Amino acid sequence: MRLPLAIASLVVLIVHGVVFRNQFFHEWERHQAAYYEQARSMSKNDRERVELEARAPRIEQVIVTSFGDTRVDRCTTCHMGADDPRFAGHAEPLKAHPYSEATGDVQRNGRWERRHKFSDFGCTVCHDGQGRGLDTFYSHGEDEFWPEPLLGYVTQPNWRKDFGPKLKGREYMEANCAQCHTQEDFAGTPHVNRGRKLFYAMNCYGCHKIDGMSEGTLGPDLTEAGKKFKVDYLWESIVEPRANLATSFMPDFHLNQADVESLVIFLKSRRGVNFAETSLDRYKAHVANVAVVIPPGTAGEKAGEQLLGDRACTACHKLGDRDGGIAPDLSYEGLIRDDAWLGDHFLNPRSRVPDSIMPAFRFPADDFQKLSAYLESLKTPPAAADARTTFTNLCARCHGEKGDGNGKVAWYIDPSPRDFTKQGFLASKPRTRFIASIQEGVGGTSMPPWKRILKDDQISGVLDYVVQDFAKEPFKELKARNIPDENPVASSPESIAHGERMFLLRCTGCHGRKADGKGPNSLDILPHPRNFRNHWFVESVPDRRLFESIQYGVQGTAMPSWIDTFTPNDVGDIVNFIRSLQNARK
Amino acid sequence: MKVAPRSHDKQLLTEDAQMPRRRLLTWLSSFGLFASVILAAVSDWLFFKPRVTYGPNARFAIGKPDDFPPGTRIARDVERVCIVREGNKIAAISTTCTHLGCIVGIADTGFACPCHGSHYDQDGNVTGGPAPKPLPWFQVTLAPNGDIVIDKNSSVDPGTYLTV
Amino acid sequence: MSTPTQEPRTALATLRELPQNVWNSIFRNPLPSTDLERASTSFTNFFLHIHPVKVNRNTLRPAYTMGLGLIATFLFVILVFTGVLLMFYYVPSTTQAYDRMLDLRGTVAFGIFLRNMHRWSAHGMVAIVFLHMCRVFFTGGYKKPREFNWVLGVLLLLVTLFLSFTGYLLPWDQLAFWAITVGTSIAGYAPLIGKQMQFVLLGDTTVGQEALLRFYVLHVAVLPSVLVLLMAIHFWRIRKDGGLSRPEKAASPAPDAGVVKLKKIYGLQGFVRGPFTKLGNVPDDSVYSWPNLLMAELFVFVLTISLILVVSLAFNAPLEQPVNVMHPPNPAKAPWYFLGLQELVSYSAFWGGIGIPGLMVAVLFLVPYIDRTTHGVGKWFAKERLLANTIFLTMVILNIIFIVIGTFFRGPNWTFVSPF
Repeated sequence: MRLPLAIASLVVLIVHGVVFRNQFFHEWERHQAAYYEQARSMSKNDRERVELEARAPRIEQVIVTSFGDTRVDRCTTCHMGADDPRFAGHAEPLKAHPYSEATGDVQRNGRWERRHKFSDFGCTVCHDGQGRGLDTFYSHGEDEFWPEPLLGYVTQPNWRKDFGPKLKGREYMEANCAQCHTQEDFAGTPHVNRGRKLFYAMNCYGCHKIDGMSEGTLGPDLTEAGKKFKVDYLWESIVEPRANLATSFMPDFHLNQADVESLVIFLKSRRGVNFAETSLDRYKAHVANVAVVIPPGTAGEKAGEQLLGDRACTACHKLGDRDGGIAPDLSYEGLIRDDAWLGDHFLNPRSRVPDSIMPAFRFPADDFQKLSAYLESLKTPPAAADARTTFTNLCARCHGEKGDGNGKVAWYIDPSPRDFTKQGFLASKPRTRFIASIQEGVGGTSMPPWKRILKDDQISGVLDYVVQDFAKEPFKELKARNIPDENPVASSPESIAHGERMFLLRCTGCHGRKADGKGPNSLDILPHPRNFRNHWFVESVPDRRLFESIQYGVQGTAMPSWIDTFTPNDVGDIVNFIRSLQNARK
Repeated sequence: MKVAPRSHDKQLLTEDAQMPRRRLLTWLSSFGLFASVILAAVSDWLFFKPRVTYGPNARFAIGKPDDFPPGTRIARDVERVCIVREGNKIAAISTTCTHLGCIVGIADTGFACPCHGSHYDQDGNVTGGPAPKPLPWFQVTLAPNGDIVIDKNSSVDPGTYLTV
Repeated sequence: MSTPTQEPRTALATLRELPQNVWNSIFRNPLPSTDLERASTSFTNFFLHIHPVKVNRNTLRPAYTMGLGLIATFLFVILVFTGVLLMFYYVPSTTQAYDRMLDLRGTVAFGIFLRNMHRWSAHGMVAIVFLHMCRVFFTGGYKKPREFNWVLGVLLLLVTLFLSFTGYLLPWDQLAFWAITVGTSIAGYAPLIGKQMQFVLLGDTTVGQEALLRFYVLHVAVLPSVLVLLMAIHFWRIRKDGGLSRPEKAASPAPDAGVVKLKKIYGLQGFVRGPFTKLGNVPDDSVYSWPNLLMAELFVFVLTISLILVVSLAFNAPLEQPVNVMHPPNPAKAPWYFLGLQELVSYSAFWGGIGIPGLMVAVLFLVPYIDRTTHGVGKWFAKERLLANTIFLTMVILNIIFIVIGTFFRGPNWTFVSPF
């Protein structure tokens, strides 16, 4: 027992010794010693030298109370030369903090005077980082648990490696300048300004709310985005919206790196706090219903055109030579939609296309009128062309160049554009149905009526092209199916109740408990299960089609045939139930 | 033939023969533990001694020399110091009364303490009242960036000025 | 010794003799060199009063107890010492606590090391008291006359857990805040009194400044006092029960490793079982507490502290992001000793959080009153106690399994993840 005791005692002693030693060889003491030594060699007289020699290494700190919670900044413990102009050329950490006119420093009597004195501001107000830390790892915020790493200098180990280089750069600090310097075009924050302009120009304002700037409700509130999130998260949210939330429908705006950087810096500056304003100002801004302040254009259709540009509609839509690549092409809107449709759609897009992701902008009614008038004026049809060209110019945006439903904007459209390569689907429907779909459009969806743009023979030609090139098989003779033209079961409360029970038993896995097409299986299915609350669509479809879909399934989709499960009466009840949902909506 | 006892076979060793080893181990243990206790005690003392305090800094800048024209005699109550400039010489005199710590005010003849009636002359020497010592003068230096820096942790002899 | 004739004493003589007199007034008995002196240490020294004069040889066998109870006690001592030191810098305020933790880590001399010691000792103590409970169970140390001591032990276990829980909140970082949010929510599920209990514990409906203050007071004042009190009774009971449990028939005498040879046997003070002193026959397989028990304790202490020191040097206690009441981490996990509970709670809030644990604790309390057999005491896994040992071992292993699942196999949204 004595031997282990002796060993353990020595271990105790050794650990004590190691710990003791560790506490006396701090990084910062070395830096301070280096500073004093060099300052001594630079001193101009003996008195200075003596004073410097008398100073023992100690922790230097600045306590800042004017900017929110008390900050204790100990950065100058290592960065001893920060306010010593003689160290301008040294290496970090002794290097003097640069002076520049950009940060408001002035030259007086041949020497620089700092505008933002360290004794007033400390360091972390501008740089972020951890003021209380005393070694590089903690004080620079390299610890992944610290919410505010040094802006533009530090990346944390758990950040994505490919983002690393993009998140470094002095310009990131502008986000903190903007905490006080909130003017829109402040010269010292060009990236923040640019980011702000992009926030409007790329139509972020439509979905996202920032207090005092916008009112969007479809996306998260970004008023405090800079306070809540680090720059890597902000970057990722812009370039890969679905990285952190798989069900996000935020579009991918395909921004270049400079744009993303400006937006990130702008968002990082949104800390929900402005040290330069009073609480009263903040309160006023918060309660004011600030509409987007963009100067209106001139009168008439020109006004509408101007508005369309200023309101950044082409951040998503296509018009003329601008194309956001996210929403339908508006070039022929006057030939497609009427005033009533446009009016309803502007006020609330989901009143016409229930699963649309377009934000409901809160412009003044006057603006909507001007915009509608302008869109209604777009009545020039495209030049007549062959079927293939017509398809490419008019249909491929949604349906895809290869007709597989994978067009540029297909992901953003619900219900999804039809996949024409599904030969089974095309073959199971009569040609007349497709002609009707193209001519009249499909209610409640983004498929518009083309009859005022394409003549009958053009439509016919496009259909043939689709069948030949995508479905690759000519229409076959359809087998006769025993489907009633009208629902033989009369609608009654009992029928509807029974239909609902059947629905809840069998249909909710895909169509959802609310019959809105959002059942648990729907995430994996394309095309999505039908949303039966889309009354524009359901009312445009005769009973016959509902019967056919339920009993025989819909080939080319995940809808199976239920003819062996439901009796015709059951199906009739279900159809009554589905119809009843449309009344409930009204 | 006498075989030397094998040291690893304890049972062959007599109790006496084990003693050196035992003593060594005991000594090692005692030394280890005793030294650890000393180190621990020293460490704990150092632990208790704060390395930072959260009050105002003892060493602070008060501005540039131009901010204090010649003839200035201005008391800064927050920092408890009186800045004096005569010509091109600057000094900092403490305004904490050496009696029991009240803040002295500037009077015509120097300084006067409202608490117990201590009086000082212009240079902080005691002229009346219960104050036991003159007001200390603090070290005044010129920082590299041009600021006047006062260090309340360093006292200098009265009459020591910074020449700017 | 006869009193020397009184001579006029000079002041100088008094001064010269001062140190010796001071020393002699404190240490009135010589360091023991005879058996009588060894025996009397238990009566002449305040601190050694806690020891019996003699202990059974079995008690000192490392393989028997593994010193677990001692380790737990020493860990507690370390915790109190480091805890009090930390109290000189910590402030239980929601706005200051985290900053103080940063200062302890960054600027206070040895702050980071002391905090590490405190944290690892705390985790160690929870684990060790649990193991100690297992040891006592598996050696049948709860049987008559030791039933109440077992009950005290279970109480000590609960107080230890509560101590660890209250301390867990104090850093006021995301880890602490949400772990305690989860933990106190489980408490709210108790029937009838749950919500009231939670409200009183937190001082508010949610974890905030009130909860921090209450947990702080509990952690530094109330619970340590309760623990010390219970420990004192626990040790008293050990003495009154005649020492630690041991086999009925003495095993063949253990080898003399570390045992001082007895030249004479004193029957003066035998074991004290019950409230009265027993004189006369003293069992042969006992040894003097001085120095054997003391050496054993010293050894365990040095071993414990050396382990704690090494671990504290090697591993830093965690400090995560400052509290953000709007953003729970995903997943938000309770401290490890409650993760088994949290795993169960993910199946059923009441049964997992209150029902099953409550049942388990109730059974623990009643163990000595359920098992009234008297055989199989004093050895590990006695064959006669197969049933009891199997049941207990199963519960222990299940507990560990749940804790392991909760720790390694649960990820965001409490879904199963692979730790590899």
